[in-house]
Formats: sequence, C-alpha cells, structure tokens
Amino acid sequence: MTGASDQQVVAWAKQGHEAAFRELVRRYERPLFSLLYRMVRDRALAEDLAQETFIKVLNGIKSYRPEFKFSSWIFKIANNAAIDHLRKKSLDTLSLDGSPSAQTPEQMRATSLQLGDQGESPLQQVESRELGTAIERAIARLRPEYRACILLRHVEGYSYEEIADSLELPLGTVKTYIHRARNELRGYLEDRRE
Amino acid sequence: MNHPEMHLTTDEIELWAQGILGAARALHLADCSLCRETADRERKIILALVQLPSFAPAAGFADRVMARVRVPTPSGDFQA
Repeated sequence: MTGASDQQVVAWAKQGHEAAFRELVRRYERPLFSLLYRMVRDRALAEDLAQETFIKVLNGIKSYRPEFKFSSWIFKIANNAAIDHLRKKSLDTLSLDGSPSAQTPEQMRATSLQLGDQGESPLQQVESRELGTAIERAIARLRPEYRACILLRHVEGYSYEEIADSLELPLGTVKTYIHRARNELRGYLEDRRE
Repeated sequence: MNHPEMHLTTDEIELWAQGILGAARALHLADCSLCRETADRERKIILALVQLPSFAPAAGFADRVMARVRVPTPSGDFQA
C-alpha cells in the first residue's frame, strides 16, 4: 500500500479497509502535526487539532471527491482548525502577531504582547527548545495567514496552486502572502542580528 | 518569458533558489548585481525554511485516531 497514490488509498478506505485509513494517518501525521504545531506553538493543542482533523476527514471519507488532491483537502481542514483556534484565543493571537491593523514588522512588534516564559513546565521547556531557533521564533511572529502559506510552500513543499486550493485563497493572494512573509522573516532575523 | 534585460521577478528568484531557473534568465542574474543581491537574500530565507525539521505527534497517535474512526463496511454501514 505504501507505493499507492493517495487517490487509490482513499478508494480502498471507502471500501472499508481499515489498513487504508491507517495508511492515510501514517502519510499525513507528521506534515499535519508539524504545520499545526508551528501554527499554535503548543504540542498538546496541536495534537488535539491534528486528531480532530483526521477524525473529520476519515469519518467523511465518502464525501471526498477524487478530482481534488487529498492533501489539499486535509490541509484545508487542519488550517481552518488552527485559524479558528487562533481567532477564538484572540489574546494569544495578539501575543504572537500584534495588532491586526499593524502593517509593518515594526508596528506588529510594537503592538505585540510577549508570551510569559517564567515557570515553564518540562513539556513547555521541550517546546521552547524545539521551536526556539531564530527562524522558528520569526515564523511565530507572522500573522496566521502568512504563516500557513509560508509553511506549506517552503516546509511542506506544496505548489502555489495547491496552497491556493487548500486555503481557499486566490493564487495571487497566496503569492503575495508568501512574498510578504519572506520579507517579514528577513526583517525579524536582521533585527535580531543588529 | 521575460526580456533578458528585465530584473528577475520574485517567482523567478524562487525558481533560481530551487535550481530550476531557465538559462536565459540565469544569464541576467550572472550580470546583474542588484538581482544577485536580492536572490542571495531570498535563498538564505528559503534554505532556512526548507531545512526545518518535521515533528511527530506522541506515540500511539494513529491508534487514538483510529479509535474514533468509523470504518465503512462493504454494505455502506459503519463499524465502530
């Protein structure tokens, strides 16, 4: 089954083969969890969101339309879950991204709150180490829409068209977000060196 | 294709960073210090992103998912 296309594995899943469901989880657990972890920066929460995404996708497998890429479908649901969470937790979102009206990295920095770092639990210390490199910290400062686009493009290796499908954004918007995200990342990293 | 004298677009710079920019535009890059400087900056960011590790959920993740998945039977019903 490992050499089969996603479409083929999904077809087997629709026929009731449990191994096909497990194969889909095996293929996507790391990319999905990595994306969600970098979006919400909390291991337990990322795992909950990944689990809910898989359950939603796998329990709705019969509604999957094979003319669309399976990866686009599953990343769309995962990204929506992450964005919904970040919107509900507006204080956390503000702490990562600054004011929604901020237009420049400087404005975003000036309006952002800093996450508390005192009294970290052992799990939080692991998270701090894992996500503590300069580039990870810079990614965390991007607004969620930019973060999702840049992670899907350069970390997961998806094409602009696939990202547009996954995030239900116009192709031009995806290109703009990725370009701005790279500029902002460069700005954050250069600020750090100064 | 863009005119050989035109500066590289952001799409072309990304192609160059991936090593798949066409020869004609690569020639422009070789001759244009402005484009080279921009392209080098972009490549550093792209490389930093590409090299990020992937993370795995905790052991037993697939079992926890499968415990809540309803696998359809051939008749179209679901098994728990």
